[in-house]
Amino acid sequence: MKEQPLKEVTQLIHAIKVGMVEGSYSITNKTLDIFKYIIMSKSWENADALMQIVRAQCRILQAALPQETVTANIARRILKLIREEFDLLHAKVQHFADDSQASLSLHKLVTQTSETNICVDYSLPQKGLREALLDHLQEVETELETSSENVCVQAEEHIHSSEIILTLGHSRSVENFLKRAIKKRQFLTIIVAECAPACRGHNLAASLANEKKVELIVIPDAAIFAMMSRVNKVIIGTHSVLANGGLRAACGAYTVGLAAKHYSVPVIVLAPMYKLSPLHLCEQDAFNMVGCAEDVIDYDSLAAREAKVYSPMFDYVPPELVTLFISNNGGHAPSYVYRLLTELYHPEDLEI
Amino acid sequence: MGCCHQSCFWYQVSRRLRIKVKSPSSQDEKTREEIIAAREAKKISKLGKKQKSTLAAPSTEPGPAPASLTGTTIITEVEQTTITTKLTRTTTTSGCKKNVVEKQGAVAPTPIATVKSLPGIPGDESGVSEKSRDQIKAEREAKKAAKQAAKANKSTEKITQQLGEVTLDGANSVPGKATVKATSLATAPTEQKKPVTKAERRAVQEAQRAAKAQAQVQGKSSQSQGISLNASKSKLNTTSTPPRETELSPSKASSPSKSPQAIGNNTPKSEGRVKLFNHLLTADKDASLFINDAQVHPSIARLGVQYAQRTVVGSNARCIAFLHALRQVVNDFETPAKKEFGRSLDAAVKHHVDHLHKCRPLAVSVFNAYKQFKNQLTQLPTDKPETELKELLGHFIDTYIENQIGKAAQAISSFLQEKITDGDVLLTFGCSSLIHFICEEAKRRLVNFRVIVIDSRPNCEGQEMLRRLHVHGIPCSYVLINAVGYVMPEATKVLLGAHALLANGYVMARTGTAQVALVAHAHNVPVLVCCETHKFSERFQTDAIVYNELSDPNQLVRNEKCCLNNWQTNSRLTPLNLNYDITPPELVSAVVTEVAILPCTSVPVILRIKPDIGY
Repeated sequence: MKEQPLKEVTQLIHAIKVGMVEGSYSITNKTLDIFKYIIMSKSWENADALMQIVRAQCRILQAALPQETVTANIARRILKLIREEFDLLHAKVQHFADDSQASLSLHKLVTQTSETNICVDYSLPQKGLREALLDHLQEVETELETSSENVCVQAEEHIHSSEIILTLGHSRSVENFLKRAIKKRQFLTIIVAECAPACRGHNLAASLANEKKVELIVIPDAAIFAMMSRVNKVIIGTHSVLANGGLRAACGAYTVGLAAKHYSVPVIVLAPMYKLSPLHLCEQDAFNMVGCAEDVIDYDSLAAREAKVYSPMFDYVPPELVTLFISNNGGHAPSYVYRLLTELYHPEDLEI
Repeated sequence: MGCCHQSCFWYQVSRRLRIKVKSPSSQDEKTREEIIAAREAKKISKLGKKQKSTLAAPSTEPGPAPASLTGTTIITEVEQTTITTKLTRTTTTSGCKKNVVEKQGAVAPTPIATVKSLPGIPGDESGVSEKSRDQIKAEREAKKAAKQAAKANKSTEKITQQLGEVTLDGANSVPGKATVKATSLATAPTEQKKPVTKAERRAVQEAQRAAKAQAQVQGKSSQSQGISLNASKSKLNTTSTPPRETELSPSKASSPSKSPQAIGNNTPKSEGRVKLFNHLLTADKDASLFINDAQVHPSIARLGVQYAQRTVVGSNARCIAFLHALRQVVNDFETPAKKEFGRSLDAAVKHHVDHLHKCRPLAVSVFNAYKQFKNQLTQLPTDKPETELKELLGHFIDTYIENQIGKAAQAISSFLQEKITDGDVLLTFGCSSLIHFICEEAKRRLVNFRVIVIDSRPNCEGQEMLRRLHVHGIPCSYVLINAVGYVMPEATKVLLGAHALLANGYVMARTGTAQVALVAHAHNVPVLVCCETHKFSERFQTDAIVYNELSDPNQLVRNEKCCLNNWQTNSRLTPLNLNYDITPPELVSAVVTEVAILPCTSVPVILRIKPDIGY
């Protein structure tokens, strides 16, 4: 069967490509809206058919936007949701006593007989599945909406007064987090590395400078190491968190991580749960994208005539350079990420 | 040990020589008599005019004036003594303080004239110093006589003379000055008589200056100087402070605030904003620094502007430019009467170096060169005529450039040629003349290699490197510093230039060098720092913040639309543009010097044997 994109999916892809939808949060939100629409309106008979559709659309999104992992992440969430709801309803029908399918306890892992759980026939029609799904989807939506706020709330736990914080580029989570910290704590010094060539760090600095009682220093990327000796904490955002606890973050994050490691400065990464991806990518070429080189060097300059110029967009930061993840559910060590992933997604959905 | 012994011996010799120096001073009886005679003549002529000069003088205090004059050395001894004798005379006879002030003001401009006229006098050799000195004296007398006539409008004259130095057509600037000095308007009419002779003299001076400027090595940079001089001129007009006054009176707090735009210099205006870097904020480089100072040789003044505007950058380039300027100073130097050549030159050079330091903190290479030069001065033989000594010093400067920079680069290059083989991918950061030289050499040997140039905002010196490497047809890649992790896996060697090597093995270099070394270390790519031994410093430093330099923070603002565009209006926002950073020795595999390929920690060893290298 040839997979055809939905009209909404096409629109979203276009919007992201043109740059009308920016930032992980809004992309996640838009994707969630699409899946909600699929669940509500599409004529699907059973859970299996629904999962097929979700998978198909997700594959299309992934093919069109390989760098936006959040779309796949949210699709995995939906698939897990469908499985859970189906199981729940199925169990109710069959009067099964034990509930709490949500988490796999050690006891269950040991005692379970493999056949019963895996061979669930999702193609059976199930009454009330749609309503249950929509209910549950509401929960996911609220979680998404409050995720930024939930991350920010933890600012007080991690930042004390008159601290020197370094950040890189412009992440919306970091911006909100720092704003919160500035409100609660006094005499903070925030060093912003500009993150050339886009220099989005300037935007962050300008935005934070509207707050009171804070000192902002904008430095070029080259001065990160020089400044690191005075920094108390590094707080950065990330594009996505990989399965091993590593990061796919803005270009320059690797240097920041190494410099912080050199000076034993803790690196805190703000990553809401929707950025967790069950991917193992350990090398540059696997996930990196090369951006426009015009910002790096003018096309018509003499120097640019014969040089190969690269402007990569991401950096891979290995998990050993990260001290702590802060998600909307609280703090996690990088070594714990794999566990979060098993809770968040169904093992069968890791490959879409 | 042998070397140590030798240096000890030299020291003793020099000491002995110095002791000797003092004895021949008694033989100068004749010349002193001559001088005294000349002085008497001057005094008589001056006293005659003294009664006229009751006009409002520039508000200089008598206190600091003699100090500043005696502190400088290009003014000849003769003049100094005349000033002081005049001072005593006037105070005893008339007791009028104003007159004293007037006198100082009157005498002060003459050194400028002498400095200017120096290059124009070819027969200025010390062998015939008696005669030439007399000539000069005669000239001076003539000038002074001319000046006496126009003593009434002394202040305006002074200004015009200063302006004449700055601009080609001093006549244009006269009206502006006249209006500024409205208080002494009575002088304006008399001024009309003067400009003829003044203009002539100015024209001569300008011609000399132009000739000199052409002879200068950096032809291109003279443009920038012209601009800055124009800027300083406009500054002069707006603030209406005669340069003499800016030099003497301490109440100059008002001018710095306006100056940065005028000169386009690098003074951060946000004093004390970033508390961490308060100690790095340099003194304001206001216009008075760049206006022709009577005691600063034009070549040094030009170099100062070039340093401040960063037209001459890079450790080696700064050092070479300094030595060339120094040679001019030595050639044009005139030993004051009854003074030893070496010592008075030492003092003069010290003043010049101080001036350069004010323009931009001295590079380690420049400081070392200066130290060696000073060392050389103390070892000068005293029994030789001045011309020969000057030749000796010129020879020293030439050999220093040749050995410490030229031959050192060749030696380093030959060391590294063994390390560069076919298929190598060299990674380098920014622009380094030495690394460019090495790459050029490797290309000449037909080695098949390519170069990755890492660059960083805001200076983007790597583009210059890229351009130079293209000339030799070396294939290049180019990335910004935050993408260094992206290209590092390809690299087989990292070659870095350095500003200085500190005694504890830390490498001081352009900001970003440490970061490149850090990433290379993480990828197990060998990091080779190329550094001549003349850049070795005896300082110890463990971080980049204690001793550093701040550049213009406005360089970080990208364009008009940039969010940082109006950062000055927001007191909480500060762009910070550090110049150097410090690479710890554990990130550096080896340092390549002209002596050997060494670990960083061997710097103190080199520093100990250093005085015997080269010359």
